[in-house]
Amino acid sequence: MDSFRKIDIDVFDEDVLLETELYDPDPREPSQVLDDAKAKAAAVRSSLSKGDIPGALSAVLDNAPYGPNVDDAKTLTLQTLVTILNSTKSSDVSNIVKSLSQDQQDTLMKYIYKGTAMPGWGDVSGSVLLGWHEKLTEAAGIGCIVRTMTDRRIV
Amino acid sequence: MSGPEVHSLSPSPITSHAFNGDRSLLAVSLNSNDVTIYSRQGKEWEVTDTLSEHDKLITSIDWAPNSNRIVTASQDRNAYVWQESQDTLTGKVVWKPTLVLLRVNRAATFVKWSPNEDKFAVATGARAIAICSYDSENNWWVSRHLKKPIRSTVLSVDWHPNNVLLAAGSADMKARVFSAYIKDVDSRPPPSVWGERLPFNTVCGEYSSPSGGWVHAVGFSPSGDVLAFASHDSSISIVYPGGPAIYTIKLNSLPYVTLAWTAEDSLVAAGHDCQPIAFSGSAGGWQLVGTLDDTSSSKSSGGTRGFGGVGSGVGRLNSAAFHTFRQADSRGSGSPTSATGSGGTDTELLTVHQNTITSIRPFSGSADRVAQVSTTGVDGRLVIWNVNNVVELTGKMGALRVQ
Repeated sequence: MDSFRKIDIDVFDEDVLLETELYDPDPREPSQVLDDAKAKAAAVRSSLSKGDIPGALSAVLDNAPYGPNVDDAKTLTLQTLVTILNSTKSSDVSNIVKSLSQDQQDTLMKYIYKGTAMPGWGDVSGSVLLGWHEKLTEAAGIGCIVRTMTDRRIV
Repeated sequence: MSGPEVHSLSPSPITSHAFNGDRSLLAVSLNSNDVTIYSRQGKEWEVTDTLSEHDKLITSIDWAPNSNRIVTASQDRNAYVWQESQDTLTGKVVWKPTLVLLRVNRAATFVKWSPNEDKFAVATGARAIAICSYDSENNWWVSRHLKKPIRSTVLSVDWHPNNVLLAAGSADMKARVFSAYIKDVDSRPPPSVWGERLPFNTVCGEYSSPSGGWVHAVGFSPSGDVLAFASHDSSISIVYPGGPAIYTIKLNSLPYVTLAWTAEDSLVAAGHDCQPIAFSGSAGGWQLVGTLDDTSSSKSSGGTRGFGGVGSGVGRLNSAAFHTFRQADSRGSGSPTSATGSGGTDTELLTVHQNTITSIRPFSGSADRVAQVSTTGVDGRLVIWNVNNVVELTGKMGALRVQ
């Protein structure tokens, strides 16, 4: 009876607003994005071995992959980020998030939300993510969460 | 210095408000199909008139100060211009509506008179802005549409002081500056930072919100050389078209939905954060100065409720509702009264406005030196603020940076 509600009316609208028009695309080629992500993963491993967590975090949060056709790079970046988050002492979290730039804080919040949406994936741990979320919200405010929700450049 | 002047007009939300030229009359839309006109009686506002013609919610009202005409926009896809005239039967002076031929198939969302009051712009959900001018032969208002390259509902518009340029913020996450030049009405505008030749629908500038938020509010500075817009990604951007840059301030708080310039170097914005926030700056950079709502004084004596740090993330999260949920979660106490103790009063905010501020307008002073602004909001209150009573948010706002 309600089947008409499932009709995709956008198909009949020639002036429809497409997902791709909502944000500026990443200027890099998908293959280059993946290479960048791999390079960053390696850099993060070496930073972590030296105990340089803020350095590792800002490396992975700058130029994070977004948009279509870069799923491999996105997965790799999330994996790298989760490794960093899991290997940070909870007492250090507060100072680390305060040292990030505002753009980095916004990107970190996106990954925290992405991680909490994938329970049980890889090394994702809900309690670690919630701990980071609390400290990040203290530092960056709810504005940071609002930007995570509005931004179409999904990581 | 005196505190803000607070008037509780109605229990229902106020969608929009506009004062007449000498600020003795006030037109508001109380979330209904009618315009309610209040007149100032001493310290109170009394209802004196109701304008009924729209048959859906009125979204926006603007009152031309010199020609004393009201224009209203509504979800019924119409706009009316109201003018005082003498009723031929009773001899009383009444507000008479004139229909505006908008020719749109979606709601009208926002309306604004041009500075010369000879035309007005109606923002609509039909991906268009109707620029309306009077056709004396037919006694109605005709419209021309600004369409390209708008991709979604237009949420707000603002006129440049030269009566030709129009800024528009829309749900396609962009703020734009258009030419709304109409041959029969306008003389050729002098060249400005926005361009020299300006035929109708010239796009003089297009600016994206920094993190993909709808652009809720736009405003030209008093000189018209600077544009500010507030978007739903909790940010406010100030554009200098001729260079050097766009300054973006990302906020720690909830997004703003309305803004007003108070001088060439300062503006006030308000929205879901329930308090007006002042910004100041110049071509060299912009920063948040503080709030007009001094939450730390008088009202905060009301208790140690968690809303003390309005504007700071953690303060917000410690609100009464948060406590209620946490109690329910950790102790299993389901009834809200047992968690909050004294019942309903715990939902009171420390800010003067108790809900989202939906519109802010200059109230007194000149355009380039506004002394007071008025705000109305979802809480049904009208508040008049002194622009100079700015209280710092230092400490509460945490790390706030300008890029």
